[in-house]
Amino acid sequence: MFAASVAVLGVSVLAALLHGPTAIPWVRVLGVLLHPGRGLTSTIVWQIRMPRVMAALLCGGSLAVAGAVMQALLRNPLADPYVIGASAGAGLGATVGQIFFAALDAVAPGAFIGAMAAVFLAFGLARGQGRLRMLTLILSGYAVGVILAAATTFLMLLHQDSLARIFAFEVGGLSGIAWSRLALPGIFMPLAFAIVLPLLPEMDALLLGEEQAFHVGARMRGVEVLLILAASLLTASAVYLGGLIGFVGLVVPHAVRRLVGAGHRRLIPLVFLVGATFLVLADAIAERVPWLGNIPVGLVTAFLGGPYFLYLLSRQGRFSSEVV
Amino acid sequence: MGPSLTVEEIRHAFPHGGAQFGPVSGDAWPGRRIGLIGPNGAGKSTLLRLMSGYLKPTGGAIRIDGVPMGRLSAAERARLVAVVPQSLGVQVDLTVEEVVALGRLSHLTWRERVSLAASPRTAAVEAALELTATAPLRRRSFSSLSGGEAQRVLLAMALAQDAPILLLDEPTAHLDPGHARRFLGLVESLAQERGKTVVMAHHDLSTVGLFTDALWLLAGGRLRAAGPSEAVLASPELGAVYGTEFMTVRHPRTGRTMLLYA
Repeated sequence: MFAASVAVLGVSVLAALLHGPTAIPWVRVLGVLLHPGRGLTSTIVWQIRMPRVMAALLCGGSLAVAGAVMQALLRNPLADPYVIGASAGAGLGATVGQIFFAALDAVAPGAFIGAMAAVFLAFGLARGQGRLRMLTLILSGYAVGVILAAATTFLMLLHQDSLARIFAFEVGGLSGIAWSRLALPGIFMPLAFAIVLPLLPEMDALLLGEEQAFHVGARMRGVEVLLILAASLLTASAVYLGGLIGFVGLVVPHAVRRLVGAGHRRLIPLVFLVGATFLVLADAIAERVPWLGNIPVGLVTAFLGGPYFLYLLSRQGRFSSEVV
Repeated sequence: MGPSLTVEEIRHAFPHGGAQFGPVSGDAWPGRRIGLIGPNGAGKSTLLRLMSGYLKPTGGAIRIDGVPMGRLSAAERARLVAVVPQSLGVQVDLTVEEVVALGRLSHLTWRERVSLAASPRTAAVEAALELTATAPLRRRSFSSLSGGEAQRVLLAMALAQDAPILLLDEPTAHLDPGHARRFLGLVESLAQERGKTVVMAHHDLSTVGLFTDALWLLAGGRLRAAGPSEAVLASPELGAVYGTEFMTVRHPRTGRTMLLYA
Protein backbone atom coordinates (compact mmCIF):
# COMPACT_ATOMS: atom_id res chain seq x y z
CA MET A 1 0.00 0.00 0.00
CA PHE A 2 2.80 2.35 0.98
CA ALA A 3 4.90 1.60 -2.10
CA ALA A 4 1.86 1.94 -4.34
CA SER A 5 1.04 5.32 -2.84
CA VAL A 6 4.59 6.55 -3.37
CA ALA A 7 4.35 5.42 -7.00
CA VAL A 8 0.99 7.15 -7.51
CA LEU A 9 2.40 10.35 -6.01
CA GLY A 10 5.41 10.12 -8.33
CA VAL A 11 3.21 9.70 -11.38
CA SER A 12 0.99 12.59 -10.26
CA VAL A 13 4.00 14.88 -9.83
CA LEU A 14 5.21 13.96 -13.29
CA ALA A 15 1.76 14.50 -14.78
CA ALA A 16 1.53 17.90 -13.09
CA LEU A 17 4.94 18.89 -14.47
CA LEU A 18 3.90 17.95 -17.98
CA HIS A 19 0.89 20.14 -17.76
CA GLY A 20 0.67 23.92 -17.75
CA PRO A 21 -0.67 26.98 -19.49
CA THR A 22 2.29 27.00 -21.86
CA ALA A 23 2.07 23.99 -24.17
CA ILE A 24 5.40 22.18 -24.15
CA PRO A 25 5.77 18.71 -25.73
CA TRP A 26 6.18 16.06 -23.03
CA VAL A 27 9.42 14.80 -24.55
CA ARG A 28 11.01 18.20 -24.02
CA VAL A 29 9.72 18.41 -20.44
CA LEU A 30 11.24 15.02 -19.68
CA GLY A 31 14.41 16.13 -21.41
CA VAL A 32 14.94 19.21 -19.23
CA LEU A 33 13.93 17.23 -16.13
CA LEU A 34 16.81 14.86 -16.80
CA HIS A 35 19.20 17.52 -18.10
CA PRO A 36 18.43 20.96 -16.72
CA GLY A 37 19.71 23.68 -19.02
CA ARG A 38 19.45 27.41 -19.48
CA GLY A 39 16.71 27.52 -22.06
CA LEU A 40 13.19 28.82 -21.68
CA THR A 41 11.72 25.32 -21.34
CA SER A 42 14.07 24.52 -18.52
CA THR A 43 13.20 27.75 -16.75
CA ILE A 44 9.48 27.06 -17.07
CA VAL A 45 9.79 23.50 -15.79
CA TRP A 46 12.32 24.11 -13.01
CA GLN A 47 11.47 27.65 -11.87
CA ILE A 48 7.73 27.83 -12.46
CA ARG A 49 6.17 24.39 -12.58
CA MET A 50 8.41 22.52 -10.14
CA PRO A 51 8.10 24.91 -7.16
CA ARG A 52 4.35 25.02 -7.64
CA VAL A 53 4.07 21.22 -7.75
CA MET A 54 6.33 20.85 -4.71
CA ALA A 55 4.29 23.46 -2.86
CA ALA A 56 1.11 21.52 -3.68
CA LEU A 57 2.74 18.29 -2.53
CA LEU A 58 3.91 19.73 0.80
CA CYS A 59 0.70 21.67 1.38
CA GLY A 60 -1.54 18.68 0.70
CA GLY A 61 0.53 16.25 2.76
CA SER A 62 0.85 18.68 5.66
CA LEU A 63 -2.81 19.66 5.76
CA ALA A 64 -3.87 16.01 5.64
CA VAL A 65 -1.51 15.02 8.46
CA ALA A 66 -2.50 18.06 10.51
CA GLY A 67 -6.14 17.03 10.06
CA ALA A 68 -5.45 13.46 11.17
CA VAL A 69 -3.56 14.75 14.22
CA MET A 70 -6.40 17.10 15.19
CA GLN A 71 -8.97 14.34 14.72
CA ALA A 72 -6.97 12.05 17.02
CA LEU A 73 -6.24 14.74 19.56
CA LEU A 74 -9.75 16.16 19.76
CA ARG A 75 -11.30 12.70 19.38
CA ASN A 76 -13.64 14.31 16.92
CA PRO A 77 -14.08 13.13 13.35
CA LEU A 78 -15.15 16.59 12.22
CA ALA A 79 -11.89 18.17 13.29
CA ASP A 80 -9.70 19.64 10.55
CA PRO A 81 -6.44 21.60 10.61
CA TYR A 82 -8.31 24.88 11.08
CA VAL A 83 -10.68 23.75 13.82
CA ILE A 84 -9.12 25.57 16.76
CA GLY A 85 -8.73 28.99 15.22
CA ALA A 86 -5.86 28.61 12.74
CA SER A 87 -7.88 29.79 9.74
CA ALA A 88 -9.23 32.91 11.42
CA GLY A 89 -5.77 33.67 12.82
CA ALA A 90 -4.22 33.22 9.39
CA GLY A 91 -6.91 35.44 7.86
CA LEU A 92 -6.26 38.22 10.34
CA GLY A 93 -2.49 37.85 10.02
CA ALA A 94 -2.71 38.03 6.22
CA THR A 95 -4.99 41.05 6.42
CA VAL A 96 -2.69 42.88 8.80
CA GLY A 97 0.25 41.95 6.60
CA GLN A 98 -1.47 43.26 3.50
CA ILE A 99 -2.74 46.48 5.04
CA PHE A 100 0.07 47.55 7.33
CA PHE A 101 3.13 45.86 5.89
CA ALA A 102 2.32 45.92 2.18
CA ALA A 103 5.84 47.06 1.32
CA LEU A 104 7.25 43.90 2.88
CA ASP A 105 4.92 41.55 0.95
CA ALA A 106 3.82 40.30 4.33
CA VAL A 107 0.62 38.40 3.51
CA ALA A 108 2.15 34.94 3.77
CA PRO A 109 4.36 35.59 6.82
CA GLY A 110 1.43 37.35 8.48
CA ALA A 111 -0.74 34.30 7.85
CA PHE A 112 1.88 32.00 9.34
CA ILE A 113 2.25 34.08 12.48
CA GLY A 114 -1.52 34.62 12.79
CA ALA A 115 -2.28 30.90 12.52
CA MET A 116 0.26 29.96 15.19
CA ALA A 117 -0.80 32.79 17.50
CA ALA A 118 -4.51 31.97 17.23
CA VAL A 119 -4.00 28.30 18.05
CA PHE A 120 -1.88 29.08 21.06
CA LEU A 121 -4.32 31.74 22.21
CA ALA A 122 -7.17 29.21 22.03
CA PHE A 123 -5.00 26.61 23.74
CA GLY A 124 -3.95 28.96 26.52
CA LEU A 125 -7.53 30.06 27.14
CA ALA A 126 -8.82 26.48 27.16
CA ARG A 127 -6.12 25.33 29.49
CA GLY A 128 -6.74 27.99 32.11
CA GLN A 129 -6.03 25.93 35.16
CA GLY A 130 -6.00 22.20 35.57
CA ARG A 131 -6.52 19.42 33.07
CA LEU A 132 -7.13 20.45 29.47
CA ARG A 133 -10.49 19.27 28.19
CA MET A 134 -10.76 18.72 24.49
CA LEU A 135 -14.31 19.98 24.24
CA THR A 136 -13.21 23.19 25.96
CA LEU A 137 -10.42 23.51 23.42
CA ILE A 138 -12.85 23.15 20.51
CA LEU A 139 -15.16 25.77 22.03
CA SER A 140 -12.39 28.22 22.86
CA GLY A 141 -10.94 27.74 19.36
CA TYR A 142 -14.35 28.51 17.94
CA ALA A 143 -14.70 31.65 20.07
CA VAL A 144 -11.20 32.86 19.20
CA GLY A 145 -12.03 32.21 15.55
CA VAL A 146 -15.21 34.26 15.68
CA ILE A 147 -13.45 37.20 17.32
CA LEU A 148 -10.49 37.18 14.93
CA ALA A 149 -12.75 36.81 11.91
CA ALA A 150 -14.73 39.83 13.08
CA ALA A 151 -11.51 41.80 13.47
CA THR A 152 -10.51 40.76 9.94
CA THR A 153 -13.83 41.87 8.49
CA PHE A 154 -13.54 45.17 10.32
CA LEU A 155 -10.06 45.81 8.92
CA MET A 156 -11.20 44.83 5.44
CA LEU A 157 -14.07 47.31 5.62
CA LEU A 158 -11.65 50.07 6.58
CA HIS A 159 -9.25 49.19 3.78
CA GLN A 160 -11.40 48.12 0.87
CA ASP A 161 -8.55 48.55 -1.59
CA SER A 162 -6.97 45.41 -0.07
CA LEU A 163 -10.07 43.27 -0.45
CA ALA A 164 -9.08 41.45 -3.62
CA ARG A 165 -5.71 40.31 -2.34
CA ILE A 166 -7.12 39.15 0.99
CA PHE A 167 -10.01 37.39 -0.67
CA ALA A 168 -7.59 35.55 -2.97
CA PHE A 169 -5.66 34.43 0.07
CA GLU A 170 -8.76 33.18 1.85
CA VAL A 171 -9.85 31.04 -1.09
CA GLY A 172 -6.45 29.42 -1.26
CA GLY A 173 -4.23 29.16 -4.30
CA LEU A 174 -0.75 28.12 -5.34
CA SER A 175 -0.12 30.08 -8.52
CA GLY A 176 3.06 32.04 -8.87
CA ILE A 177 4.99 30.29 -6.11
CA ALA A 178 8.78 30.57 -6.35
CA TRP A 179 11.37 28.35 -4.72
CA SER A 180 12.08 30.99 -2.09
CA ARG A 181 8.59 30.50 -0.65
CA LEU A 182 9.46 26.90 0.17
CA ALA A 183 12.29 27.80 2.53
CA LEU A 184 10.24 28.37 5.67
CA PRO A 185 7.96 25.35 5.22
CA GLY A 186 11.10 23.40 4.38
CA ILE A 187 12.21 23.96 7.96
CA PHE A 188 8.95 23.76 9.87
CA MET A 189 7.28 20.87 8.08
CA PRO A 190 10.09 18.36 8.73
CA LEU A 191 10.27 19.63 12.30
CA ALA A 192 6.56 18.95 12.75
CA PHE A 193 6.85 15.46 11.26
CA ALA A 194 9.77 14.77 13.59
CA ILE A 195 7.50 15.70 16.51
CA VAL A 196 4.60 13.55 15.30
CA LEU A 197 6.55 10.40 14.42
CA PRO A 198 7.55 9.26 17.94
CA LEU A 199 4.07 10.12 19.24
CA LEU A 200 2.18 7.77 16.91
CA PRO A 201 1.72 5.18 19.73
CA GLU A 202 0.21 7.90 21.93
CA MET A 203 -2.16 8.88 19.13
CA ASP A 204 -3.35 5.26 19.08
CA ALA A 205 -3.72 5.36 22.86
CA LEU A 206 -5.94 8.45 22.53
CA LEU A 207 -8.39 6.30 20.57
CA LEU A 208 -9.01 4.28 23.72
CA GLY A 209 -10.42 7.35 25.43
CA GLU A 210 -8.64 9.66 27.80
CA GLU A 211 -8.90 7.46 30.90
CA GLN A 212 -7.54 4.25 29.38
CA ALA A 213 -4.81 6.23 27.60
CA PHE A 214 -3.77 7.43 31.05
CA HIS A 215 -3.75 3.86 32.38
CA VAL A 216 -1.41 2.53 29.69
CA GLY A 217 0.99 5.32 30.57
CA ALA A 218 0.50 8.01 27.92
CA ARG A 219 1.86 11.33 29.20
CA MET A 220 -1.26 13.17 28.20
CA ARG A 221 -0.28 16.71 28.99
CA GLY A 222 3.03 16.78 27.18
CA VAL A 223 1.62 14.79 24.29
CA GLU A 224 -1.26 17.20 23.80
CA VAL A 225 1.00 20.24 23.75
CA LEU A 226 3.42 18.62 21.30
CA LEU A 227 0.70 17.42 18.97
CA ILE A 228 -0.98 20.83 18.93
CA LEU A 229 2.41 22.42 18.22
CA ALA A 230 3.11 20.00 15.38
CA ALA A 231 -0.36 20.31 13.84
CA SER A 232 -0.25 24.09 13.96
CA LEU A 233 3.26 24.23 12.47
CA LEU A 234 2.00 22.08 9.60
CA THR A 235 -1.15 24.14 9.18
CA ALA A 236 0.63 27.48 9.40
CA SER A 237 3.27 26.35 6.91
CA ALA A 238 0.60 25.15 4.50
CA VAL A 239 -1.28 28.42 4.89
CA TYR A 240 1.96 30.30 4.28
CA LEU A 241 2.31 28.47 0.98
CA GLY A 242 -1.23 28.32 -0.31
CA GLY A 243 -3.66 30.32 1.80
CA LEU A 244 -6.72 28.63 3.24
CA ILE A 245 -7.12 25.45 1.22
CA GLY A 246 -10.10 23.56 2.61
CA PHE A 247 -11.29 19.98 2.80
CA VAL A 248 -7.92 18.24 2.31
CA GLY A 249 -7.36 17.99 6.05
CA LEU A 250 -10.89 16.77 6.70
CA VAL A 251 -11.49 14.35 3.84
CA VAL A 252 -8.13 12.65 3.30
CA PRO A 253 -7.75 11.18 6.82
CA HIS A 254 -11.29 9.79 6.61
CA ALA A 255 -10.72 8.22 3.22
CA VAL A 256 -7.41 6.64 4.24
CA ARG A 257 -8.82 5.40 7.55
CA ARG A 258 -11.41 3.46 5.57
CA LEU A 259 -8.61 1.75 3.69
CA VAL A 260 -6.14 0.89 6.43
CA GLY A 261 -7.97 1.33 9.74
CA ALA A 262 -7.29 3.81 12.49
CA GLY A 263 -3.84 2.63 13.64
CA HIS A 264 -1.64 5.69 13.24
CA ARG A 265 1.57 3.93 12.27
CA ARG A 266 -0.06 2.91 9.02
CA LEU A 267 -2.44 5.85 8.79
CA ILE A 268 -0.14 8.87 9.07
CA PRO A 269 2.41 8.03 6.31
CA LEU A 270 -0.41 7.15 3.92
CA VAL A 271 -2.38 10.25 4.87
CA PHE A 272 0.64 12.34 3.91
CA LEU A 273 1.06 10.58 0.56
CA VAL A 274 -2.63 10.65 -0.34
CA GLY A 275 -3.01 14.28 0.76
CA ALA A 276 0.04 15.23 -1.29
CA THR A 277 -1.24 13.37 -4.36
CA PHE A 278 -4.70 14.86 -3.98
CA LEU A 279 -3.46 18.43 -3.89
CA VAL A 280 -0.93 17.96 -6.70
CA LEU A 281 -3.73 16.68 -8.94
CA ALA A 282 -6.25 19.26 -7.72
CA ASP A 283 -3.76 22.02 -8.45
CA ALA A 284 -3.06 20.63 -11.91
CA ILE A 285 -6.80 20.87 -12.56
CA ALA A 286 -7.00 24.34 -11.01
CA GLU A 287 -4.20 25.57 -13.21
CA ARG A 288 -6.06 24.98 -16.44
CA VAL A 289 -9.80 24.69 -16.10
CA PRO A 290 -11.57 24.63 -19.50
CA TRP A 291 -12.94 28.09 -20.38
CA LEU A 292 -11.88 29.62 -17.05
CA GLY A 293 -8.13 29.15 -17.06
CA ASN A 294 -6.48 29.38 -13.65
CA ILE A 295 -8.85 29.12 -10.66
CA PRO A 296 -7.87 28.88 -6.97
CA VAL A 297 -7.07 25.32 -5.94
CA GLY A 298 -9.19 25.80 -2.83
CA LEU A 299 -12.26 25.80 -5.05
CA VAL A 300 -11.20 22.55 -6.70
CA THR A 301 -10.61 20.80 -3.36
CA ALA A 302 -14.00 21.98 -2.14
CA PHE A 303 -15.77 20.79 -5.29
CA LEU A 304 -13.99 17.43 -5.23
CA GLY A 305 -13.70 16.98 -1.46
CA GLY A 306 -17.19 18.04 -0.41
CA PRO A 307 -19.16 15.53 -2.49
CA TYR A 308 -16.64 12.77 -1.74
CA PHE A 309 -17.04 13.42 1.97
CA LEU A 310 -20.81 13.15 1.64
CA TYR A 311 -20.34 9.91 -0.28
CA LEU A 312 -18.17 8.52 2.54
CA LEU A 313 -20.81 9.45 5.08
CA SER A 314 -23.60 7.80 3.12
CA ARG A 315 -21.54 4.63 2.66
CA GLN A 316 -20.67 4.49 6.29
CA GLY A 317 -24.08 5.38 7.62
CA ARG A 318 -22.43 6.96 10.62
CA PHE A 319 -19.24 8.68 11.70
CA SER A 320 -16.25 6.42 12.21
CA SER A 321 -15.95 7.24 15.87
CA GLU A 322 -17.70 8.97 18.67
CA VAL A 323 -18.80 12.55 18.08
CA VAL A 324 -18.04 14.82 20.99
CA MET B 1 7.22 -11.32 45.43
CA GLY B 2 5.44 -8.44 43.71
CA PRO B 3 4.84 -5.08 45.32
CA SER B 4 2.09 -4.41 47.83
CA LEU B 5 -0.48 -1.68 47.37
CA THR B 6 -1.22 0.36 50.47
CA VAL B 7 -4.19 2.67 50.78
CA GLU B 8 -3.47 5.16 53.52
CA GLU B 9 -6.26 7.35 54.90
CA ILE B 10 -7.15 8.26 51.36
CA ARG B 11 -9.72 10.99 50.72
CA HIS B 12 -11.15 12.54 47.64
CA ALA B 13 -13.44 15.54 47.49
CA PHE B 14 -15.29 15.92 44.22
CA PRO B 15 -15.43 19.49 42.92
CA HIS B 16 -18.61 21.55 43.05
CA GLY B 17 -19.52 20.32 46.52
CA GLY B 18 -20.18 16.73 45.42
CA ALA B 19 -19.87 13.63 47.54
CA GLN B 20 -16.85 13.10 49.75
CA PHE B 21 -14.88 9.91 49.51
CA GLY B 22 -12.94 8.43 52.40
CA PRO B 23 -11.00 8.29 54.52
CA VAL B 24 -10.31 4.69 53.52
CA SER B 25 -7.32 2.55 54.46
CA GLY B 26 -6.29 -0.98 53.57
CA ASP B 27 -3.67 -3.20 52.02
CA ALA B 28 -3.56 -5.38 48.94
CA TRP B 29 -0.98 -8.15 48.62
CA PRO B 30 0.54 -10.15 45.80
CA GLY B 31 -1.32 -13.34 44.96
CA ARG B 32 -4.54 -12.17 46.60
CA ARG B 33 -7.73 -10.96 45.01
CA ILE B 34 -9.56 -8.20 46.80
CA GLY B 35 -13.16 -7.62 45.83
CA LEU B 36 -14.74 -4.19 46.20
CA ILE B 37 -18.45 -4.41 46.91
CA GLY B 38 -21.08 -1.91 47.86
CA PRO B 39 -24.27 -0.38 46.51
CA ASN B 40 -24.30 2.00 43.55
CA GLY B 41 -22.47 5.20 44.36
CA ALA B 42 -20.58 3.57 47.25
CA GLY B 43 -17.24 4.71 45.82
CA LYS B 44 -15.91 1.50 44.24
CA SER B 45 -14.94 3.16 40.96
CA THR B 46 -13.60 6.19 42.82
CA LEU B 47 -11.35 3.97 44.92
CA LEU B 48 -10.09 2.16 41.81
CA ARG B 49 -9.40 5.49 40.11
CA LEU B 50 -7.47 6.67 43.15
CA MET B 51 -5.51 3.41 43.18
CA SER B 52 -4.67 3.79 39.49
CA GLY B 53 -3.55 7.39 39.97
CA TYR B 54 -6.20 8.73 37.60
CA LEU B 55 -7.79 10.70 40.44
CA LYS B 56 -5.54 12.68 42.72
CA PRO B 57 -6.34 12.21 46.40
CA THR B 58 -7.13 15.35 48.38
CA GLY B 59 -5.74 13.64 51.46
CA GLY B 60 -3.78 10.52 52.34
CA ALA B 61 -1.80 8.50 49.83
CA ILE B 62 -1.65 5.37 47.74
CA ARG B 63 1.72 3.69 48.15
CA ILE B 64 3.26 0.97 46.07
CA ASP B 65 5.94 -0.74 48.14
CA GLY B 66 6.06 2.41 50.20
CA VAL B 67 6.45 4.84 47.27
CA PRO B 68 3.60 7.34 46.95
CA MET B 69 1.75 7.04 43.67
CA GLY B 70 2.12 10.77 42.97
CA ARG B 71 5.88 10.44 42.82
CA LEU B 72 5.88 7.97 39.92
CA SER B 73 6.23 9.05 36.30
CA ALA B 74 3.48 8.02 33.86
CA ALA B 75 5.62 5.18 32.50
CA GLU B 76 6.74 3.97 35.94
CA ARG B 77 3.15 3.92 37.11
CA ALA B 78 1.92 2.05 34.04
CA ARG B 79 4.59 -0.60 34.53
CA LEU B 80 3.29 -1.18 38.06
CA VAL B 81 -0.49 -0.77 37.74
CA ALA B 82 -2.70 -1.97 34.90
CA VAL B 83 -6.44 -1.33 34.65
CA VAL B 84 -9.17 -3.40 33.01
CA PRO B 85 -12.24 -1.19 32.54
CA GLN B 86 -15.79 -2.41 32.26
CA SER B 87 -15.75 -1.19 28.67
CA LEU B 88 -14.02 1.61 26.81
CA GLY B 89 -17.19 3.59 26.16
CA VAL B 90 -15.87 4.69 22.77
CA GLN B 91 -15.80 3.06 19.37
CA VAL B 92 -12.24 1.86 18.71
CA ASP B 93 -11.38 1.04 15.12
CA LEU B 94 -8.01 -0.51 15.94
CA THR B 95 -7.33 -4.20 15.42
CA VAL B 96 -7.21 -6.49 18.45
CA GLU B 97 -3.47 -6.79 18.01
CA GLU B 98 -3.04 -3.01 18.00
CA VAL B 99 -5.16 -2.63 21.13
CA VAL B 100 -3.15 -5.27 23.00
CA ALA B 101 0.11 -3.71 21.77
CA LEU B 102 -0.95 -0.44 23.43
CA GLY B 103 -0.33 -2.22 26.71
CA ARG B 104 3.36 -1.95 25.81
CA LEU B 105 3.27 1.85 25.55
CA SER B 106 5.20 2.38 28.78
CA HIS B 107 7.82 -0.19 27.74
CA LEU B 108 8.54 1.13 24.24
CA THR B 109 12.14 1.82 23.38
CA TRP B 110 12.95 4.84 21.25
CA ARG B 111 13.53 2.57 18.26
CA GLU B 112 10.19 0.82 18.65
CA ARG B 113 8.55 4.22 19.00
CA VAL B 114 9.72 5.60 15.67
CA SER B 115 9.26 2.31 13.84
CA LEU B 116 6.42 2.37 11.35
CA ALA B 117 6.00 -1.43 11.40
CA ALA B 118 2.25 -1.80 11.65
CA SER B 119 2.04 -4.40 14.42
CA PRO B 120 4.96 -4.72 16.76
CA ARG B 121 4.93 -8.43 17.62
CA THR B 122 6.66 -8.52 20.93
CA ALA B 123 6.84 -11.56 23.19
CA ALA B 124 4.70 -9.83 25.81
CA VAL B 125 1.92 -9.12 23.30
CA GLU B 126 1.99 -12.68 22.01
CA ALA B 127 1.91 -14.10 25.54
CA ALA B 128 -1.04 -11.89 26.46
CA LEU B 129 -2.97 -12.91 23.33
CA GLU B 130 -2.19 -16.56 24.05
CA LEU B 131 -3.17 -16.46 27.71
CA THR B 132 -6.51 -14.78 27.07
CA ALA B 133 -7.25 -16.96 24.01
CA THR B 134 -7.57 -13.84 21.86
CA ALA B 135 -4.82 -14.76 19.38
CA PRO B 136 -7.37 -15.95 16.77
CA LEU B 137 -9.01 -12.49 16.93
CA ARG B 138 -5.81 -10.55 16.31
CA ARG B 139 -6.79 -9.12 12.92
CA ARG B 140 -10.37 -8.33 13.88
CA SER B 141 -11.44 -4.77 14.50
CA PHE B 142 -11.92 -4.18 18.23
CA SER B 143 -15.28 -2.53 17.58
CA SER B 144 -16.60 -5.70 15.92
CA LEU B 145 -16.05 -7.92 18.98
CA SER B 146 -18.74 -9.36 21.25
CA GLY B 147 -18.80 -8.28 24.90
CA GLY B 148 -16.97 -11.39 26.10
CA GLU B 149 -14.28 -11.09 23.42
CA ALA B 150 -13.78 -7.37 24.04
CA GLN B 151 -13.37 -7.97 27.78
CA ARG B 152 -10.71 -10.62 27.16
CA VAL B 153 -8.88 -8.25 24.81
CA LEU B 154 -8.92 -5.51 27.46
CA LEU B 155 -7.46 -8.03 29.92
CA ALA B 156 -4.84 -8.96 27.32
CA MET B 157 -3.92 -5.28 26.98
CA ALA B 158 -3.49 -5.03 30.75
CA LEU B 159 -1.40 -8.23 30.76
CA ALA B 160 0.82 -6.93 27.97
CA GLN B 161 1.49 -4.02 30.30
CA ASP B 162 3.29 -6.56 32.51
CA ALA B 163 2.28 -4.78 35.69
CA PRO B 164 2.20 -6.68 39.00
CA ILE B 165 -0.93 -4.85 40.16
CA LEU B 166 -4.17 -5.42 38.28
CA LEU B 167 -7.24 -3.26 38.89
CA LEU B 168 -10.54 -4.37 37.39
CA ASP B 169 -13.73 -2.32 37.38
CA GLU B 170 -16.71 -4.69 37.22
CA PRO B 171 -15.07 -6.56 34.35
CA THR B 172 -17.90 -9.09 34.03
CA ALA B 173 -20.86 -6.72 34.35
CA HIS B 174 -21.84 -7.21 30.70
CA LEU B 175 -20.89 -10.87 30.35
CA ASP B 176 -23.11 -13.94 30.44
CA PRO B 177 -22.40 -16.49 33.22
CA GLY B 178 -20.23 -18.71 31.06
CA HIS B 179 -17.97 -15.90 29.85
CA ALA B 180 -17.96 -14.32 33.30
CA ARG B 181 -16.83 -17.54 34.95
CA ARG B 182 -14.05 -18.17 32.44
CA PHE B 183 -12.87 -14.57 32.73
CA LEU B 184 -12.78 -14.69 36.54
CA GLY B 185 -11.06 -18.09 36.41
CA LEU B 186 -8.35 -16.45 34.36
CA VAL B 187 -8.02 -13.68 36.93
CA GLU B 188 -7.71 -16.34 39.63
CA SER B 189 -4.85 -18.06 37.86
CA LEU B 190 -3.13 -14.70 37.34
CA ALA B 191 -3.21 -14.10 41.08
CA GLN B 192 -2.32 -17.60 42.17
CA GLU B 193 0.21 -18.59 39.54
CA ARG B 194 1.73 -15.25 38.65
CA GLY B 195 1.41 -13.53 41.99
CA LYS B 196 -0.57 -10.56 40.63
CA THR B 197 -2.08 -8.21 43.16
CA VAL B 198 -5.72 -8.03 42.12
CA VAL B 199 -8.31 -5.44 43.16
CA MET B 200 -11.64 -5.92 41.49
CA ALA B 201 -14.97 -4.16 41.83
CA HIS B 202 -17.66 -6.79 41.54
CA HIS B 203 -21.36 -6.29 41.06
CA ASP B 204 -22.68 -9.78 41.70
CA LEU B 205 -22.90 -10.39 45.44
CA SER B 206 -24.08 -13.98 45.16
CA THR B 207 -20.91 -15.13 43.39
CA VAL B 208 -18.33 -12.63 44.64
CA GLY B 209 -17.18 -15.06 47.36
CA LEU B 210 -16.20 -17.61 44.70
CA PHE B 211 -13.81 -15.28 42.93
CA THR B 212 -12.15 -13.25 45.69
CA ASP B 213 -9.96 -13.88 48.72
CA ALA B 214 -10.91 -10.76 50.65
CA LEU B 215 -13.63 -8.16 50.40
CA TRP B 216 -13.87 -4.47 51.12
CA LEU B 217 -17.42 -3.34 51.69
CA LEU B 218 -17.90 0.31 50.77
CA ALA B 219 -20.90 2.54 51.35
CA GLY B 220 -21.20 6.31 51.08
CA GLY B 221 -17.49 6.64 50.37
CA ARG B 222 -16.51 4.84 53.57
CA LEU B 223 -15.13 1.39 54.27
CA ARG B 224 -17.82 -0.42 56.29
CA ALA B 225 -16.22 -3.85 56.55
CA ALA B 226 -13.07 -5.56 55.34
CA GLY B 227 -11.62 -9.01 55.74
CA PRO B 228 -11.70 -12.52 54.31
CA SER B 229 -14.57 -12.89 51.86
CA GLU B 230 -16.55 -15.38 53.95
CA ALA B 231 -16.34 -13.11 57.01
CA VAL B 232 -17.51 -9.99 55.18
CA LEU B 233 -20.32 -11.90 53.47
CA ALA B 234 -21.51 -13.16 56.85
CA SER B 235 -21.22 -9.81 58.62
CA PRO B 236 -24.40 -7.98 59.62
CA GLU B 237 -22.96 -4.79 58.01
CA LEU B 238 -23.72 -6.22 54.60
CA GLY B 239 -27.47 -6.39 55.13
CA ALA B 240 -27.43 -2.96 56.75
CA VAL B 241 -25.58 -1.38 53.82
CA TYR B 242 -27.87 -2.86 51.19
CA GLY B 243 -31.04 -2.51 53.25
CA THR B 244 -32.02 -6.14 52.83
CA GLU B 245 -31.22 -9.44 54.53
CA PHE B 246 -28.87 -12.06 53.25
CA MET B 247 -27.83 -15.56 54.26
CA THR B 248 -24.67 -17.44 53.33
CA VAL B 249 -24.32 -20.98 52.05
CA ARG B 250 -21.26 -23.03 51.29
CA HIS B 251 -20.69 -24.13 47.77
CA PRO B 252 -21.13 -27.93 47.92
CA ARG B 253 -18.04 -28.61 45.82
CA THR B 254 -15.54 -25.84 46.59
CA GLY B 255 -16.65 -25.01 50.11
CA ARG B 256 -16.55 -21.27 49.29
CA THR B 257 -19.17 -18.88 50.59
CA MET B 258 -22.06 -17.78 48.43
CA LEU B 259 -24.74 -15.27 49.26
CA LEU B 260 -28.50 -15.70 49.03
CA TYR B 261 -31.42 -13.44 49.90
CA ALA B 262 -32.65 -14.42 53.34
